[in-house]
Amino acid sequence: MNKIANIFFLFGVLIFASCKVDPRIVEPLPANNLVEVVPAGWPQPVYSFSVNTITEDKFVLGRALFYDPILSVDSTISCGSCHQQSAAFAHADHDLSHGIYDRVGIRNAPGIFNLNWHPNFMHDGGINHIEVMPLGPITNTLEMGADINPVIAKLQASSKYKNLFKKAFGTETVNSQNMLRAMAQFMGLMYSYNSKFDLYKRRESNAELSDAELRGYNLFLTNCNTCHKEPLFTDFSFRSNGLAVNPFINDTGRAHITGEAQDRFKFKTPSLRNIAKTAPYMHDGRFNTLQECLDHYANVKPNLVNLDPLLQNSGLPLSTQDKQDIIAFLNTLTDYKLLADRRFADPN
Amino acid sequence: MIFGFAIIDHQKLLKNYIMKAIIKFTTIALFLGFISCKKDTKEPEPTPEPTPVATTGSLKIQFDHLVGATPLVLNQNYVNPKLDTFKVTKLKYYISNIVITKNDNSTFVEPESYYLLDASNPVSTVLTLTNVPFASYKSISFMLGVDSARSASGAQTGALSQANGMYWNWSSGYVMFKLEGSSPQSGASNKSLVYHIGGYSGVNKTQRNYNLNFGSPTANVSSGTTPKVHLSVDINEFFKTPTLIDVATQYYQMAAGVNAKMYADNYADMFGFGYITN
Repeated sequence: MNKIANIFFLFGVLIFASCKVDPRIVEPLPANNLVEVVPAGWPQPVYSFSVNTITEDKFVLGRALFYDPILSVDSTISCGSCHQQSAAFAHADHDLSHGIYDRVGIRNAPGIFNLNWHPNFMHDGGINHIEVMPLGPITNTLEMGADINPVIAKLQASSKYKNLFKKAFGTETVNSQNMLRAMAQFMGLMYSYNSKFDLYKRRESNAELSDAELRGYNLFLTNCNTCHKEPLFTDFSFRSNGLAVNPFINDTGRAHITGEAQDRFKFKTPSLRNIAKTAPYMHDGRFNTLQECLDHYANVKPNLVNLDPLLQNSGLPLSTQDKQDIIAFLNTLTDYKLLADRRFADPN
Repeated sequence: MIFGFAIIDHQKLLKNYIMKAIIKFTTIALFLGFISCKKDTKEPEPTPEPTPVATTGSLKIQFDHLVGATPLVLNQNYVNPKLDTFKVTKLKYYISNIVITKNDNSTFVEPESYYLLDASNPVSTVLTLTNVPFASYKSISFMLGVDSARSASGAQTGALSQANGMYWNWSSGYVMFKLEGSSPQSGASNKSLVYHIGGYSGVNKTQRNYNLNFGSPTANVSSGTTPKVHLSVDINEFFKTPTLIDVATQYYQMAAGVNAKMYADNYADMFGFGYITN
C-alpha cells in the first residue's frame, strides 16, 4: 500500500515538475548536451535561440564552418585562426588581427563567450545581431576578405557541406540565413560561467578565494565594477578609457559607426571573464600584461578627447599592492571548463 | 378489482420501464464516455464543406521609374534638376509594410511585406498582393526601406537576405536605397555617382513613409478583376527638395548619418500615384 502511495506521489511530483521547469534554465551545463543556459542571477540574454532551435546537426555545421578557412577569399583564414579556444577564443600573442595575405587588421580579436548577452558586436558595436556578426570579419578586406555569395557558392560546391546543410536544415541548398544561424548556434553556446570565482559565488565544490583574491574582489567592486559589471563583467557601454590615440591607425571607435563627435575614441567595454587568457589587451592590443593595464588605469592622462568621467582625476587610486590583489582576483575569472570543452574544439 | 389489478400491473410496468431506462441510460452514458475519450485522440469528424466562395483576390502595384516625365532607361543620359547630365546604371531599393485602405476606411495590412525592387529587373518592379479581401480600395501606404525592427533581427531570407548586396556588414543594416551612375560633372575622378542610403534608427534614419490616394476610379478587387496600381518614381526628386544636389561635390554617400538623412529627405517626395487599370 505504501509503495503504491509512493508511486502515486512520485508520479504527481513528476507531473508538477514537468509543468514547472523552464527547459531553458538548466544548471549546471550537462557535459554533453546542447541547451540554452541562463545562470542563476544573470539577466535574460538578448538572443535566445527562439527562431534558431538548438539541434546537434546545426551545432556540428556551425562548428565545421567556424574552423574552416573556406570562409575566407583564398581559403587560408578561418574564424578559429584568430579565435583560439586556449585563449578563450581570442588570438594569443597577436595585438592586431592577422588576415589573408598576411594583412594586419586595426583591432585586437576579442574573446568569444556569453555572446547571447551582447546587444551589439565588435569594438565599435557596429554589428547589431549575433547571427550577422560573422559577416563582419568574413567581408573585412584585412581579415577574411570574402563576399558572402562566393562563400555560399564554395559551400554549395562541397559535398561535405551539402551533406551537413541537409542534416541541419533539411535541404542541400546553402543560403546565408542557414549558414549564419548555424554559426550563431555554435558561438552562442560558448558559455562561460564556471570559473573559480563562479564556483565560489555559487558555493560549489568548496571553492575558496585566497585573502589576496578576496581583497582584489573588493577593490574590483570599488574601482572596476561600474563598467565591468558583474556577472558578465561588462555593462556593454562605449567609453574612452584614456588611451592615447595611435596616430598610425587613428581609430575613432564608436564614432566610426555613429558619426557623432561625442563618440570619438570610445570603445565597447570588454568582459573581464577569462582575462588572464586573452592577452594582449585593449582594442588595439597595446598592453601585453594585466599589470600594464592596471598601471594605465592608475595613471590616466587628463584632457583626452571624450575621456570617461569616471577616470577624470588621474584614473583609479590603486597602490602597488592593490594592483597585485586585483590581478589575483582577475585570475579567478578563468573558466577552464570552457577552455577544455571538446565540443568547441577544432573538429579536424 | 379490475381497477386494482390494473394498478398493480401498472406498477410492474413502471418498474420494468425504469429498470430498462437505467440500463439504456448507462449504456448510452458509457458509450458516450467511450466516444468522448476516443475523440481526444481523433481528429474531429470532417463536416461536409460548403462549396468555397472566394472572398479574396489580388492587387498589383507597378513602380514606374521616371526622370521628370520621361521613363527611366538605365545607361541613358538625362538632365538633373541642377541641369547636370547624368545616367543611372543601378537603381535598387526596398519597399515594405504595404497597407491598402478601402472606401470604408478599413485596411488590408499585407503580412511579411518586404520587396527589393531593381530597375534592371522589370519583374521585380511589379508587386502582387494576394489574399486581398474583395473591396474597392482608395489609397495605399508603404515604407521605402526596411523597418528598424526587421533591420535588427539577424539573418534573413528572400528579399531581406544579407546576400542580396543591400546590406552593410560592418555597420549592420540595409541599404534602403541605392543609386549608382555617372555624370561628366561628378567630382569623382572616375566621374561616378554612388549613393548608398542607409541607417535604420535614431534621428538619421533613412526609411520614409508614403501615403498615396488613388482618387477616382478606385482599385476594385473582385473575383473577375486584379487591378494594377501604377505609382511613379521620379528620380529627379532624389536630386532636389529640400536639398538641390550638386554632383560636383555630392557624388558619394555610403554610410549612415546626417548626409544619408539629407538624401532620404530628398526622396521623401519621390513617389506619386499614377493611374489604375482595373
